[in-house]
Amino acid sequence: MTDIRIQTENLCKTFRNGRLATPVLFDVNLEIRAGEFVAIMGPSGCGKSTLMHILGLMLSASGGRIRLDGRDMSQASPAERARWRRERIGFVFQRFNLLATLSAHDNIALAEQIRRNPPDGQVDRVLAAVGMTDRARYKPGQLSIGQQQRIAIARAVVHRPAILLADEPTGNLDSAHARLILDLFGRIHRQDHPTIVLITHSPEAAGYAERIVELKDGRIHHG
Amino acid sequence: MLRLAWANLLHHKIRTALSVLAVAIAITLLLILVGLAHGTLNDVSRRMESVEAQILVRDAYFDLGSLSGGKLWEKEIPRLLEVKLDQQPAVERVMPVFLGRMKLAGQSQNVFGIAPQDFPYFIGSRRLVDGGLFTDADSARELLDRFEQAGTMGDTTSPAYMPLIVDQRLAAAGDLHVGSAARYGDLDARVVGIVQTGVAGRVFAPINTLRAANGVAVQTAHLFFVKAAGRLSTDQLLALCERIEQATARSATLVADYGRIMKGNFRTLILFVDLVSLIALVICFLFILVTIYTSVLERCREIAILQSLGATRRRILLQTVQEALLLCVAGTLLGIGLTFAVRYGIETARPLMTVEIRASWLLGATAVGIGGGILSSLYPGYVALRHDPVEALSFE
Repeated sequence: MTDIRIQTENLCKTFRNGRLATPVLFDVNLEIRAGEFVAIMGPSGCGKSTLMHILGLMLSASGGRIRLDGRDMSQASPAERARWRRERIGFVFQRFNLLATLSAHDNIALAEQIRRNPPDGQVDRVLAAVGMTDRARYKPGQLSIGQQQRIAIARAVVHRPAILLADEPTGNLDSAHARLILDLFGRIHRQDHPTIVLITHSPEAAGYAERIVELKDGRIHHG
Repeated sequence: MLRLAWANLLHHKIRTALSVLAVAIAITLLLILVGLAHGTLNDVSRRMESVEAQILVRDAYFDLGSLSGGKLWEKEIPRLLEVKLDQQPAVERVMPVFLGRMKLAGQSQNVFGIAPQDFPYFIGSRRLVDGGLFTDADSARELLDRFEQAGTMGDTTSPAYMPLIVDQRLAAAGDLHVGSAARYGDLDARVVGIVQTGVAGRVFAPINTLRAANGVAVQTAHLFFVKAAGRLSTDQLLALCERIEQATARSATLVADYGRIMKGNFRTLILFVDLVSLIALVICFLFILVTIYTSVLERCREIAILQSLGATRRRILLQTVQEALLLCVAGTLLGIGLTFAVRYGIETARPLMTVEIRASWLLGATAVGIGGGILSSLYPGYVALRHDPVEALSFE
């Protein structure tokens, strides 16, 4: 078992729309160790979110390789990629992406159902961990944006993922709520030691990470 | 996942209600059309098959569908009674039926002219619920006398009338009771008895009286019901039919085959009903397809979230199918309920119409609803899988 959890080699991504080709990432070489908390910083449009989606196997790279736990995922089948997302990866998005029709509890339970995990109290455990037990039956529309993000984090960590990917998780929050959320990430990292990749353009948020990787114009500048 | 499908449907209450209603209407239309077409034919068939006889003898040109055509001479009855199988007399009883038509309860009705002594064989286990059995001789004699004397049947001042026995359903439809007056052409008629529903004719009259009312003085009939001696197998009955045809040069068929013959005569009608039902179903499932398709387009982000959580393509397709299935199952159940309500309405407003609902048809409608739901959700499911999840997650 390698200590390197995430590794990219000359990773490239070009979006194509008919004849129009828009290159976004160029030869990205990155290594993130197991249990490391890394922030990826950079200005808007530099390719941070694209990189996160490739690391989370939501997008395929146009070139280069990506390895997770030493396994080359560049040519993995859609089913294999889905299995990794299901079992080893957790996502937190800037816009929370909770299902509006389900309660907070059911949003988290749904993720466990997709993983076919038995309902053995994990949902209640993470709800308590993010301090949302008393809002379990509320629907996202009935929660504040800070509470919605806490539920989104609970959903992302309920299966204790090896990799937690967070795309601007505090981008929609005021500073007080942002601090709460970042504290939560810090606590999760201390307790469960997942590899955390935090995409942000906020220096304050990046300050919670152990290492900062700077991305500029689709290339790694520093890290 | 089922909870998510349920939650999504409840979230769009009006759209869900309209979709369920569309399926329900299609299922109702299907069941009512089939039930009405087959119900009417089966009702007539069952009533004919209720006669305690196994063989129907008719002129070769007599149309069982319209109950009209050539006549038979009653002098053939002795010949029929002489028919033997394995040297044994095979015919126990021959019951002639002279058919007429009259208007009752707002509709044209076939009148079965039968001999009063044959009446028990026509009603079987059913009973007269009001009034009594008619007598033939007096009214027939009087009518024949008048016919001979005046050469016309138009003297309505005469106390002579044609006695009728009607079934309960016709009595209810026409508000008829014992003593109710009616007209047979220019002739007075009167209800003398009411029999339980399910007998071959909705209206019975004494055969000689009916002949006389039609100006027929000779002993003719349109049909002979033949009751076989003893219990004969189907093969023996078919052999008896052949013997009867040889002996009389008439057409002899099993009473049990009446329904099949009727359905053969009404093949075009049944085909039309099947076609209309099919069109109703296609429209219904197109509606479901559009509903699910619209809902998929509206929920790209939700599908992308499921993908980010690791849901497989199969699981996402299943999610789409589940929603369609819930719509179709709810629509089918509502449709079945509506079918019973519509049947009640039809049979209350038009008591002579029969809407038959069979358990096998209900199961078939359920299968059609579920199968259609699955089929009509496959394309939207395929569309759902083709959406770019990253794009859906990034934008509203």
